[in-house]
Amino acid sequence: MTIQTKYEKPIPLKNEDNRPYWDAADRHELEVQKCNDCKSYLHPPGPACPKCGSAAVEWENLGSDIKATLSSYVISYRPFLPGFQNDLPTIIAQAALDDKPDVRILCNLLECKPEDVKIGMPVQMTWQDITEERALPQWKPTD
Amino acid sequence: MDKISNKYAVVGVGEYERSRKSGTTPLQMALVAARNALQDAGLEASDIDGIMNYSTGGDSCTSHEVATYLGARPKYVKDISGGGSSTEMLIGDAIGMIDAGLLNTVLIYRSMNGASGQLVGRGYDPNMLQNALPGGSFIIPYGSASPSQWFGIFATRHMHQTGLTKEHLGQVCIDFYEHAQRNPKAHLNGKTLTMEEYLNTPDISSPFNIHDCCLELDEANAIIVTSADRAKDCKSRPVYIMGITPRETHPHAHYWSDLDQVAADHVAPALYQSAGVKPEDIQVAAIYDCFSWVVLRQLEAYGLAPRGEVGDFVAAGNLKMGGKLPTNTAGGMLAEGYTHGMNNVLEIVRQLRHEYKGSDRQVEDCEIGICTGWSGPDLAGAMILGN
Repeated sequence: MTIQTKYEKPIPLKNEDNRPYWDAADRHELEVQKCNDCKSYLHPPGPACPKCGSAAVEWENLGSDIKATLSSYVISYRPFLPGFQNDLPTIIAQAALDDKPDVRILCNLLECKPEDVKIGMPVQMTWQDITEERALPQWKPTD
Repeated sequence: MDKISNKYAVVGVGEYERSRKSGTTPLQMALVAARNALQDAGLEASDIDGIMNYSTGGDSCTSHEVATYLGARPKYVKDISGGGSSTEMLIGDAIGMIDAGLLNTVLIYRSMNGASGQLVGRGYDPNMLQNALPGGSFIIPYGSASPSQWFGIFATRHMHQTGLTKEHLGQVCIDFYEHAQRNPKAHLNGKTLTMEEYLNTPDISSPFNIHDCCLELDEANAIIVTSADRAKDCKSRPVYIMGITPRETHPHAHYWSDLDQVAADHVAPALYQSAGVKPEDIQVAAIYDCFSWVVLRQLEAYGLAPRGEVGDFVAAGNLKMGGKLPTNTAGGMLAEGYTHGMNNVLEIVRQLRHEYKGSDRQVEDCEIGICTGWSGPDLAGAMILGN
């Protein structure tokens, strides 16, 4: 994957609640939060578990081989943010992790034509290098 | 039925003319809408002892300013940040405060230069959005910043699961455009829509094209809420609040991990219980319509059409005047105007007063109506009104 010299799209902002997720993404890995009390996996990460309210949340590294199933999508024909005008139509898709279906992650679906996207299609996570330091998790159809 | 049922009423409604360019401030528009609501109720500014307002990202004017220039000296002013369903939330607050004996008569308004000023549907500064929206950094980098995209992803899944088609979405638009042709104050009065035109319009965010999206306009609306006892002294025919459920939430604020449920699903049981009526008792509806699909999903959530059959329900013409459930009879936010739902409240009040009697706009003999709010899949609120 080529590193773009000028990335015009918004870059994820790291903060106290999400830093481990984005730090892992920069290493091309997926880390998700889980609750030590109710044992739920959580996404997006936050300061506590949205299911039971427990603050006993920790991170689990799921590695780089992430398979998922597409749960829904929207095909965007207009840019609503800077940078996307060069990249239309954009597919924005949610997929549920095959191993942890409660974890549903929203990304763009790359390497797929709008007419080929289908709910239920298998996808896998790929990481787009957007700057020298940063990488963005994305979905692509499973090879 | 709960203890507030029929003890409070909407006694005044008023608006400022809708346009794409008001050429004036939200304060000026709010004052005109408020004066119109006072006149409608036959009340003076001095009768108002509470004023409440909602705005999104500072797009309005404050209740304190409106109080000042209305010449009212209320005991209480309140401004909240919110969008759809905030009308229902503030009416709930007003009822609570009147019930507690703290206030008598409350003015609630929404004023915005939604076309010439700040536009909701076209996105905001990306870094501001990442910080402002819960989970923002997980959606904004993917180009997802418009409600048309957020709700589109729900709509795609719902259509996949239930067999709803693009034609069903189009039918909602066509019906509301048709209603707007009977309403001289509707922004799209004079602009009709056929299914062929609808289907030939390219999508903005699939499955939505421009007709599926609400009109962002410059507009102000105001309503006045008081007790049923005081309502007897008003000039207008009171419309009673039979039941109200201000807000209940989805599992996550803004990052919608579960596409199969929306907050309206959780509002409905409490709403009907509070009003002591069933979905089949509802004769006229004002369903929050920021997008066509949102109407279909709420008809299901509120039990107004069976899940899985809402497409057939709409295709059969049931939302039209003369149908089983005439809905958004002024054109709704798709064709009349958009003030985050308050214009739909004005219309349901006017229907239940039989204000259009003798014209083709009146839903004949309607006595019970529903008005829903939708801030998104995560927040909703609704009320049932009776005459």
